[in-house]
Amino acid sequence: MRYNPVTKKIVDELVEILGPKNVFSDQEKMEAYSHDETSAEEYGHMPEVVVTPSTTEEIAKIVKLANRELIPITPRGAGSGLSGGAIPTFGGILLSIEKMNKVLEIDDGNMMMVLETGIVTNEVNALIKDRGLFYAGYPMSLETCFLGGNIAENAGGGKAVKYGVTGRYIMGMELVTPTGEIVELGGKLSKDVSGYDLKQLIVGSEGTLGIVTKATIKLTGLPTAKSNLLVLYKNPKDAIDCVPVIMAKGLIPTGIEFMDKLSVKTSCEYLNESLPYQDCGAMLLIEVDGTNAEQVEKDTESIGDLCMDNGAIEVYVADNYTTQERIWSVRRNIAEAFKVVSPVQSLEDIVVPIATIPDIIPELDRISEKYDIKIPCYGHAGDGNLHATLVKNPNHTMEHWHEIEPKALRELYEVTKKLGGKISGEHGIGLKRKNYLKEVINPVELNLMKAIKKAWDPNHIMNPGKIFDLE
Amino acid sequence: MNIIIPIKQVPETSNVKMDKETGTMIRDGVESVINPLDLYAIELGIQLKEIHGGKVTVCTMGPPSAQKALREAIAMGCDDGILITDRKFAGADTWATSYTLSEAIKNMGSFDLVLAGERATDGDTGQVGPGIAAWLNIPLATYVSHVDEVTNTHITVERLVEEGYQILKMPLPTLLTVVKEVSDPRLPTLRGKKKARATEIPVFSTENMNLNEGSLGLKGSPTKVVKIDYPKVTRGGKMVSANGEEGINAAIDELIKFLEEKELI
Amino acid sequence: MSYVWTIAEQSKGKLRGVSFELLSRGRKLADKMNTQLCSVLLGSNVSDEALQELIYRGADNVYFIDDPRLENFIVETHSNVLSDLIREYKPHTILAAATSSGRSLMPYVAIQVNTGLTADCTELDIEEGTKHLLQTRPAIGGNIMATIKTPNHDPQMATVRPKSSRPLPEDTGRVGKIIRLSLKDELVDNRVEMIGFRKDLEEFVNIEEAEVVVAGGKGMKKQENFGMLKELAKRFDGVVGASRDAVDRGWLPYPHQIGLSGKTISPKLYICAGISGSIQHLAGIKTSETIIAVNTDPDANIFQLADFGIIGNLFEVIPKLNQRLENYKKEGK
Repeated sequence: MRYNPVTKKIVDELVEILGPKNVFSDQEKMEAYSHDETSAEEYGHMPEVVVTPSTTEEIAKIVKLANRELIPITPRGAGSGLSGGAIPTFGGILLSIEKMNKVLEIDDGNMMMVLETGIVTNEVNALIKDRGLFYAGYPMSLETCFLGGNIAENAGGGKAVKYGVTGRYIMGMELVTPTGEIVELGGKLSKDVSGYDLKQLIVGSEGTLGIVTKATIKLTGLPTAKSNLLVLYKNPKDAIDCVPVIMAKGLIPTGIEFMDKLSVKTSCEYLNESLPYQDCGAMLLIEVDGTNAEQVEKDTESIGDLCMDNGAIEVYVADNYTTQERIWSVRRNIAEAFKVVSPVQSLEDIVVPIATIPDIIPELDRISEKYDIKIPCYGHAGDGNLHATLVKNPNHTMEHWHEIEPKALRELYEVTKKLGGKISGEHGIGLKRKNYLKEVINPVELNLMKAIKKAWDPNHIMNPGKIFDLE
Repeated sequence: MNIIIPIKQVPETSNVKMDKETGTMIRDGVESVINPLDLYAIELGIQLKEIHGGKVTVCTMGPPSAQKALREAIAMGCDDGILITDRKFAGADTWATSYTLSEAIKNMGSFDLVLAGERATDGDTGQVGPGIAAWLNIPLATYVSHVDEVTNTHITVERLVEEGYQILKMPLPTLLTVVKEVSDPRLPTLRGKKKARATEIPVFSTENMNLNEGSLGLKGSPTKVVKIDYPKVTRGGKMVSANGEEGINAAIDELIKFLEEKELI
Repeated sequence: MSYVWTIAEQSKGKLRGVSFELLSRGRKLADKMNTQLCSVLLGSNVSDEALQELIYRGADNVYFIDDPRLENFIVETHSNVLSDLIREYKPHTILAAATSSGRSLMPYVAIQVNTGLTADCTELDIEEGTKHLLQTRPAIGGNIMATIKTPNHDPQMATVRPKSSRPLPEDTGRVGKIIRLSLKDELVDNRVEMIGFRKDLEEFVNIEEAEVVVAGGKGMKKQENFGMLKELAKRFDGVVGASRDAVDRGWLPYPHQIGLSGKTISPKLYICAGISGSIQHLAGIKTSETIIAVNTDPDANIFQLADFGIIGNLFEVIPKLNQRLENYKKEGK
């Protein structure tokens, strides 16, 4: 694909649409927009101009201009993505939705809320908490990420076992299409089969099919009680075997997190945590929430009993902030702890059928041994979504890492495919994984995806270079 | 060894955000937890019991809901919990609190050791522990960071002071207030939780304690709060960004200038 | 006689600096009430020059009980003695330091002499008319300032944070009385025996009495990185502190911990890096004179309290700052 550069004339036109304060191109200011949470050195790319519109109409005008001049547009939320999805790989216009953060309506009657998509996800819940309402479609990065980014990636997180992922809560949206038209999809409807469900196509489309400017989200009752269990097992198999046992009893935990021995050990050492982790081969962190404290306590106990009856070594209960913070910090600090060992790593996001998790652990060991790198495995066991992470051996050179990383990844993905899994559960394909997509999905499916992209974005200006390349 | 541990429920504030406009703490949804420093006392008590046998009793003075804290301590491994509650106790300062707690402890029968957190994170006075020792007229060691030796009659402890660690041999019964170094608190287990739920928590109040009513609560407190101010926390200091080589150099230049103005270099 | 008393502290016969800080607080109160300021010292082998310095720095009288049995701080004996003095001399106000000794002694004494005590005051004043001591202290993590008084009990007692006030300059023209008293045997409590004293091999820090504290938090990432903070602290003749997160992770031992579950400090200069500033931590540094913070997150709580904030990567900023201060020293500018 050939694109035109952003000339002075185009910048002037952007300034005319947005005013001078919302268009900038000095390198220092643009630097922050040139990368996300993936390695800036590896994936970063500078935009030619950054724009910060405040209305849907402004965005539509910019998109029309981009089509006319054949300039790529990269939409961007908070930049907390983990797949390089918001990186302006072809330069062009970086369109940040940071100023689109108005709350338009809180509709108690329909338990829905309409808001612009540049709002920080955590603020959504802060706004409705007093009304006893709750938005459950948030990922683990809720304190920094934007709603718009969550929609683009169909974000998941640690509570998807019970609440599902972002898409479940997106009832309607206002979209600026890749050709600059404004369209409303869905609405405040619980059911709607009036034609294709285009809004669900947009959810998880990684900003390649348009820019979501407003969203109607579904709310639920605010859970007021929460309890956690930290369960220690001899080995990963015992841990994973417990998951279906719990689910079969009709107990629906909010989330079930898995940590393998290496993850636990590294995180506990980093935190100086005194939990007796030395003899354990894997841990589950199970969360239960609800609106009835007694019920939550009862369910917690039932789940704990099931774990003890099914191979757990020990079950710890955390039902207050102090203890919850303590056990969650073991889970949350895994990535940080490995960064201290080696800042260079590839955070992966494979997803497999839950029951196959024990089969993947020995494969990870094999790959880890073969390439002499560490591959801790942790993540959302309840959804089969594992953040197996390739950590560069600090003794290896960067050249060596660049040589083995793709090979190790390829092997990891092959194993994943063989087990019936996919290469991303919640982070997206973006830039980081697009070279691998064609190897792990059916070519017919890939062609259908490409056909959709071509139909929606004939000039291929909307977030090009993401998910797959068009020939 | 009979050990008594007075604990306190405090608002959990370690993760609380500040309101940028007013500079005050946003206290929505702040839950109550065991005073973090009391956890070190609880853990030490359980460990001493595990080694030397005996019984650990936790007690707390507070509203009826404070029994949650007692059950949490029992889930960790304490044996009994006693709730000291009465409307007449409300508003007590450290003098009246230590009086009431010391009377409750007398009510519990004989004991060898009273263990307390060095202070509570809400009141932040550290006066109640020493106060209880004074009321009971038993020896006191504050800031205890390590227990060296326990015999039938004595306990040898190290206490953290400004210049190092003072090593004291204390006769039993005695009262220790402890700091973090003394222990690593354990997490409550499922078994412990079940036991805690089934444990009956006796209530001590003015009804079943022989108390001097003039020494209780707000009325019995020598100190009175006469004024509350909400200071602006924000200092509104100078902020500079340090990005890239030049940015960092410029920021450091400004900082040096600032240090010179303040005569700090 | 309604005197104002301050409790001086000694260690191995040497007066501790906080004794003089208390005198500057006490002087103001005594002047306001038009009464005398007395410094009370329990200890052993303190030189006349040292006692004289208490007078030069504000005391009118010095009560000194010199006895080997008072050399080490044993709370039971010290409080028996102080309580006895209080009953005999009936002072109006007593100020002690919020040190490990003061914070143990005063609450014990408060029960013995049946009066109130306010911990960790940052401001002290005398109420017009009633002459009650107005004791102001931060509460609830420093979010409120509570002013407290003890209307129906005497004496009025408060502890004061070390470094929260400056000593008065030495005025060798001042005259005052040094009154030596002897220790009454019946006040000695022999129940507790001090059997040793341990100093850590590594230099033991006293962050509460340091003029300059340089602290690191979670953002320091690992223990080895504290080297750059130690270097920075050295340049200011200061000491290194840490947030609770850093101490929890075992990067520095507990005596270095700053905040509600560690030490509360009031240094002249507080520099911190990689500390976001929990309410607990801020409560521990709130009364620092000047605060400098380095953090990558512009929204970090710590910046609300900073007099000078640098938004940036501490691993780039601190080494550069060290280098810059080195050059500054060399070139004298």
